Amino acid sequence: MLAKKTLARKEAPDGGAEDRRDALGVSRLSLAVGAGERAIPLLADVTVRVGRGETVGLVGESGSGKSLTARTALGMLPRGARATGSVTVSDVDVLSAGRKTLRDLRRTRASMIFQDPRASINPVRRIGDYLTEGLRARGVPARAAAERALDLLDQVGIRDPGSAVRRFPHEFSGGMLQRVVIAGALSTEPELLLADEPTTALDVTTQAEVIALLKNMQQVHGTGMLFVTHDLDLAAAICDRIYVMYAGRIVEESVSAALFTAPAHPYTRALLEASPSVHGDKVAIKAIKGRPRALAESPSGCSFRDRCPLAGDDCAASVPAHRPHGTSLVACLHPEQVTP
Amino acid sequence: MNAPVLSVTSLVKKFGHFTAVDDVSFELMPGASLGIVGESGSGKTTTARILAGLEQPTSGTVTLDGRAVEGHSRRTRLWQARRLQMIFQDPYGSFDPRQTIAQSIAEPMRLHVPGSAKEHRARVGELLDQVGLSSRAGESLPRDLSGGQRQRAAIARALGIAPRVLVLDEAVAALDVSIQAQILTLLDELRGDTGISYVFVSHDLAVVRYITDTAIVMRHGRIVERGETEQILRSPQHPYTRLLLDSIPSPDWDLDRVAQDRRALDLP
Repeated sequence: MLAKKTLARKEAPDGGAEDRRDALGVSRLSLAVGAGERAIPLLADVTVRVGRGETVGLVGESGSGKSLTARTALGMLPRGARATGSVTVSDVDVLSAGRKTLRDLRRTRASMIFQDPRASINPVRRIGDYLTEGLRARGVPARAAAERALDLLDQVGIRDPGSAVRRFPHEFSGGMLQRVVIAGALSTEPELLLADEPTTALDVTTQAEVIALLKNMQQVHGTGMLFVTHDLDLAAAICDRIYVMYAGRIVEESVSAALFTAPAHPYTRALLEASPSVHGDKVAIKAIKGRPRALAESPSGCSFRDRCPLAGDDCAASVPAHRPHGTSLVACLHPEQVTP
Repeated sequence: MNAPVLSVTSLVKKFGHFTAVDDVSFELMPGASLGIVGESGSGKTTTARILAGLEQPTSGTVTLDGRAVEGHSRRTRLWQARRLQMIFQDPYGSFDPRQTIAQSIAEPMRLHVPGSAKEHRARVGELLDQVGLSSRAGESLPRDLSGGQRQRAAIARALGIAPRVLVLDEAVAALDVSIQAQILTLLDELRGDTGISYVFVSHDLAVVRYITDTAIVMRHGRIVERGETEQILRSPQHPYTRLLLDSIPSPDWDLDRVAQDRRALDLP
């Protein structure tokens, strides 16, 4: 098993291994709303894998489909959307699951944290109710659930958990409330945690704290985490592997350590060159012409070709297939021109 | 040219018992770019709003173009706006949704710049070109433009009356990375071409490093560190600046060091 994995690792950053026990397996997922002529494609051929205990980044700009991909893992599709491909969360086939199975999945096996904690927490109920709700639904006795809530608040660094459980969401700052939400998300010890820009609305020093907490909790519980963000630096700092999305497609998959030194897709390199940095010598930033596109308005062939400095006539012919280059799996015809 | 275009002395702003800005002083030379860095609650936005005349300071003075700004009579406001313009994070809130972009850009010109409507229209065309917007974008309504295009339009409108100082409050914070880079390079070019000065308010040290020469770091309404931006980033003197810098994610991010920095500040 080990030998086989080492062999496969040469071809793909995730080892190319499809493990039935993966926390999340999204395979060739395509998503569209509307029907016939007026169908609007949202995602095309998206493949994402999150192993147990692994942290995987999903990076892209607005409209790239990163949040949409994360939400499909919980069966939260846009109204009237048709999906092809497969989505599995620890043995559950999400796309064909019924309401009861999905509810069960969301309650016990997969949790999600959003950017704005105030949008995902009932403002008129106490913090204690929020934390015990999921546990009670699983059949944990009230007294045990209350004790567990105190324990969870302590773990996420809330001072005086005893009084915190009696307080309301508005009495907490954004950073503190996000900690409460993290405690709630991990209360059921899920196998998969979906984090959609969980620190984007927070101050940079608070972000560092919340990330430290998230990583720590994840390690303790062995949870697989899909971390959705627009921030390449943040993704590289905390993830094992990173998927870069552009216009509803995965354009590059790479181990995060290599993404900065050896990007394989022109878009990844352009993103890196467009981001100012506080580290190292001051270098000029290079803007990318045009604006990020959604899948429905992207050109034929490679979606990035109208903004790509390396694009040639061959890029218009068809959507480039994923191919290995260095430590990446990249959807580009000319990765050797990006990083030799 | 050795007189500062903007100088602020002992600025204090209190809201009831809460002191939002506490003894803030700085100077801005013509053509220079000053960064105001801080987190939420640091007083950076209140400072910017006082500069633009949107708030009245409790005490302290703002001297603009060699004259102290006093009171907020209509005349003072006009005089101040003629010399100093402000750009906000979300330009959507500062455009009339029923006016085309070109009409919005022309409006402050009618107020401040003498000339016929025809001259103004020609100038609007130049401005759109200068910030990289097509004339078709000029005929659009604000809702038809993307965030980056709206921010370009806001910059064009502010430049229309040729102010001496532009105050930018988190002007690129809401933009995608690729668009943010476009706006930053545009701002850099404009400063080179026109000799305008910037006060750039931001929580993002990387952006501040790119767009400013000097910077002040604010915390709880006070300035904790000031100096050349590069110098501050290379060898931060105040523990809070160090915490800010170490909190920025990087491939060799050390969360233990962040925790250590916090302890140095007596934070939990």
